[in-house]
Amino acid sequence: MNLVWKLLRQHISVPQFAGFFLANLVGMVIILLGIQFYNDTQAIYQSEDSFMKEDYLIVNKKIGAVTTITGKANTFSQAEIAEAADQPFVERIGTFSSSLFDVHASFDIQGFARFSTDMFFESVPDEFVDVKTEDWHYDEGSTALPIILPKDYLDLYNFGYAQSRNMPKLSEGILGAMKLKVSINGNGFQDTYDGAIVGFSSRLNTILVPQAFMDYANQRYANNEGALHTRLIMQVNNPTDERITTYLQDNNLETDQDKLDASKTTYLLRIIVAVVMSVGLVICILAIYILMLSIYLLVEKNSTKLENLLLLGYSPARVSMPYQLLTLGLNLLVFVLAFILLLIVRHIYLQLFADFFPDFTSPSILPAVIAGVVLLVVVSVLNIIAVRRKVMSIWNRKES
Amino acid sequence: MNTITLRNTLPEVFAQRTDIHSDVWQQEVVFEKEKTYLVEANSGTGKSSLCSYIFGYRQDYLGDIFFNKTNIHDLSVSQWVDQRKNHLALLWQELRLFPELTAMENVLIKNKLTGYQKQSTIDAWFEQLGITDKRTALVGRMSFGQQQRVAMIRTLCQPFDFIFVDEPISHLDDSNSRIMADMLMAEAQRQGAGVVATSIGKRIEVSYDVHLKL
Repeated sequence: MNLVWKLLRQHISVPQFAGFFLANLVGMVIILLGIQFYNDTQAIYQSEDSFMKEDYLIVNKKIGAVTTITGKANTFSQAEIAEAADQPFVERIGTFSSSLFDVHASFDIQGFARFSTDMFFESVPDEFVDVKTEDWHYDEGSTALPIILPKDYLDLYNFGYAQSRNMPKLSEGILGAMKLKVSINGNGFQDTYDGAIVGFSSRLNTILVPQAFMDYANQRYANNEGALHTRLIMQVNNPTDERITTYLQDNNLETDQDKLDASKTTYLLRIIVAVVMSVGLVICILAIYILMLSIYLLVEKNSTKLENLLLLGYSPARVSMPYQLLTLGLNLLVFVLAFILLLIVRHIYLQLFADFFPDFTSPSILPAVIAGVVLLVVVSVLNIIAVRRKVMSIWNRKES
Repeated sequence: MNTITLRNTLPEVFAQRTDIHSDVWQQEVVFEKEKTYLVEANSGTGKSSLCSYIFGYRQDYLGDIFFNKTNIHDLSVSQWVDQRKNHLALLWQELRLFPELTAMENVLIKNKLTGYQKQSTIDAWFEQLGITDKRTALVGRMSFGQQQRVAMIRTLCQPFDFIFVDEPISHLDDSNSRIMADMLMAEAQRQGAGVVATSIGKRIEVSYDVHLKL
């Protein structure tokens, strides 16, 4: 065995190092878990509406008592659309097209229930819908019809209807595999289509079909008697731009509040995670403090040995090394164990996520890895410097 | 290193004294290689302090000490490490052995650092000093006389230009003293080194070139 190590390991206090080890482990796990949890939950917020890009605003005219009576006043004229497109904050603008024909849809949950309802379709230009193009297209004459439903419909079913009737809950994945039977009437035609739900949107509170289908169907079933534009979709460069609010107020328009709500939730989550991570950081700092104290105590107890080694011709660097390696080893062990714990805990909560958000794809653990490595490096460098300083104080025969 | 020069050197604690009559303190003294010096002193005259100053362990002195032309105040940490490893050997009066290690481990902890002496040489020295059977004994359990012999062997396990032995035989009988003196001189001559021995009465019997009264 290395003689220097044999000498210097004297007086190593196992309880002290175990204390540091546990405390630092807890602190590190809390910090890493905070980062990872935040990251994972962010992914939920983003995955919730993956086919609607972030910076879209949906704008409609406010509906008041007068508009109900006069009927037509809530639609946008071509001039108004052109004016909106000219606004400096608008990058792209599109209109919602409504169906001008009767739609009847039905679908079976095999053996449990059969739903059927009258409904409607709307469409926006395809470039505003962020779904793979092979999923989101319509070929004229085909009976395959992709549909995007509001997330609220699914929630209404799952948490209201299915709950009260003891029916099975449906995930987005299962619904996506189901066929919706859509029959359309108008202009003397009656056709049946196979609707396929390609996604759910919590941003767009409407039933979306591809623009190509809408154009074709309005032509076929309604002779395209002039589609009315009741809602606009616009891509803005910065949704928090003050001018947007002003513009909307001046023109008596309103926009969807969802995004605002989501950002509020994210904000709260961010605060909570920050608080939790601060607690982890405090624990880590205390743990490092324990380690420093133990090392100082150890060096103090072994100061005669260290001094004699230095007088024998051992360099301060060589004499510091055993303690530096010891702390480095401990830190590495904490790091590795913290990661194993992180992966276990994450595995557990990701399963919970999977129950609530069937489409959830877990993001990488890279941010936590980076944070862990940074923490490891910072702590180790501090330890190494502290040991070296302590040994140098023995070299200089300074009391400290 | 060829010379060690003391110029007006005086321990700080003696600074107020006016009755200093010494061959070393407040004088110009030059230790040269290949010569043998005896520094005789009464206790309390700063004999061990002298060794500590030259070894860079303590700095509480007035005046200057030079290795060749270099003031030892100007030596860096790595230069001191090099001096202690390759140029200066010191047998401390208090030995500075590690009681937790065995006699052989105490020697090897030095020899592994310098890689200077062969294991066979070390074994022969243990044999000569009559402590072969103590090689695996913990130093903490050995008598001071035995420890002095271990410390002597350890001190020789390095290359040196000067070797200082601070009361090396205070607890040894005459026969062991003689063996130790022969060992010391043989190794010093082999290396062409200067020898500085201190004594408060019982001196290690070698032929001294210079006697200094501290």
